[in-house]
Amino acid sequence: MSERLRIALTKGRLQDQSVELFEGMGLDCTPIKNPGRRLVHSIPNYPLDAVLAKAPDVITYVEHGVCDLGIVGKDTILEKGGAFYEVMDLGFGRCRFALAVKEGSDFYGTYKTRRIATKYPAVTKEFFEKKGMDVSIIKIEGSVELAPILELADAIVDIVETGATLRENGLVPIEDVAQVSARLLVNIAAMKLHRTEILDFISRCEQELKRPK
Amino acid sequence: MHFSANTPEGTRDRLFVECQERRQVQSALIALFQSRGYHEIITPEVEFYDLFTQSGCPIPQETMLKIIDRSGKIMVMRPDCTTPIARVAATKLKTVPLPQRLYYDQTVFRSGAAHRGGSSEIAQCGIELIGASGPKADLEIVVMAVDALRSCGVEDFHIELGHAGFFRTLARRTDIPEEDLETIRRLIEGKNFAALQDILAEREAHASSAALFRLPYLFGGVEVLDEAETLAGENEDIAYLRGLYEILDAAGYGRFIKFDLGMVHQIDYYTGVVFRGYLSGAGAPVLSGGRYDHLAEAFGRPAEATGFAVDVDAVAACLPGAQLPALTCVVHFENGELLRALAAVDARPVGTCELSPCRTLESSINLARDKGADTVLVLENGGERVVTV
Repeated sequence: MSERLRIALTKGRLQDQSVELFEGMGLDCTPIKNPGRRLVHSIPNYPLDAVLAKAPDVITYVEHGVCDLGIVGKDTILEKGGAFYEVMDLGFGRCRFALAVKEGSDFYGTYKTRRIATKYPAVTKEFFEKKGMDVSIIKIEGSVELAPILELADAIVDIVETGATLRENGLVPIEDVAQVSARLLVNIAAMKLHRTEILDFISRCEQELKRPK
Repeated sequence: MHFSANTPEGTRDRLFVECQERRQVQSALIALFQSRGYHEIITPEVEFYDLFTQSGCPIPQETMLKIIDRSGKIMVMRPDCTTPIARVAATKLKTVPLPQRLYYDQTVFRSGAAHRGGSSEIAQCGIELIGASGPKADLEIVVMAVDALRSCGVEDFHIELGHAGFFRTLARRTDIPEEDLETIRRLIEGKNFAALQDILAEREAHASSAALFRLPYLFGGVEVLDEAETLAGENEDIAYLRGLYEILDAAGYGRFIKFDLGMVHQIDYYTGVVFRGYLSGAGAPVLSGGRYDHLAEAFGRPAEATGFAVDVDAVAACLPGAQLPALTCVVHFENGELLRALAAVDARPVGTCELSPCRTLESSINLARDKGADTVLVLENGGERVVTV
């Protein structure tokens, strides 16, 4: 019997969509859906154990090799980086990562150093570095939309799902920073040490994603 | 008094068993290196920053720990062992005939990102074979890599071979512009299968670029060489790897050898066979190396070279835990009995017996009790007796 693989899933919406993907692949996900007090959930009909974690922790677990696989949004990967294989775009959890400014404001039409509020300082820094533009970045932990309203920032860099929140707060997305969706990560050593098992899992994911629905 | 009693992030104190495990790996490796004719070299812990930035060493500048010396020059804590060794080989050892076989057992310093659990002090033990190229030199280094891990007492590992030239050959055959090639190289290195498929779909699918996009899948046993040849046609790098494998296999090393043709990291630095060692239980490669034929040239003495470094603590962490010997005996002695007391300590197994610094027998007995020893050996008036605690 081959060894069991361990996967870290991002809690919340991505978790539900991951479960949906797994169920499509024929995996029995009852233990993930009814976790009780357990923290490690064993899939009964496939050699896979799942743990649930916050997005950046998924990367940490995969990077350190305590989880062989992980599912996490591209936004977190861009922000946190790290050494792992990013093998697949799982297609779900799609959203825009955008620069949004106050409606009617001319963001680029000034030599004043712009101030950007964001939960993603690393992504924001790289975005403006590529443009050769100096900006001052402020990290905000909660609702980033609040910062321009309070006149703390000229613009925000954030995830845009529907755009409704932005509109309600008088902000308009003016530029895409990146396209975000859920990705499948593999630990580098695990890929080499459990090649057959991991490639089997990847190809099952691929087949399921290609299956017309 | 206000000062921090903690160590800086990325550093740690290593105590007793951890030291023992590290030393065990180091001494196994050193014994092997010496027996194969490698000589030790110790280079400074601190070097000029320029040494690493101007020689083509692939260490990113932000990970180097910098110091400004009294004259205002920028120095770094040694971030890599190979570059200083290439410097020595090309300068101080200029008149020594090649090839030179050198080994090192040194710490490298790299500051990682905050709070990621990485260590900024990495104990490395490795070899460099300078001034030799061709299959025999590459075989020697790969065999040394296998034997190095074996000498540490581990069996469940493999050394994965790749070739820096293969990617370059495939890339040359396509009409992909330089900047896109770098993106593709990064995606191959990250085994980003899906993103590569997308790029491939956007492009006219030439047979040559098809091979390039298959690279991340080309890892595993010797069969990946067959697949590579099917995809890319006859190729001298693949033939070279196959040649190495056949000799390694005939010598009984085949079971430790795998391939990853998608190993395309530091492509400007490596010039030929590259390899990494994976050990069951370690989440990252524990050994890495390859051929770097242009480095010595930067110091004025062109010499082909290859080598590897073992991450000592990563290997040590995969060994069955060592145990410290338990203290069983404390020696209480009169001043005139010092030599006999030392002889008594020396005669017992290492770490099981120590001198008592106490003046009275009573405090020696208390000391023995506190430290968990069960006997006190009393040396007085030329005689000896044992007190059970």
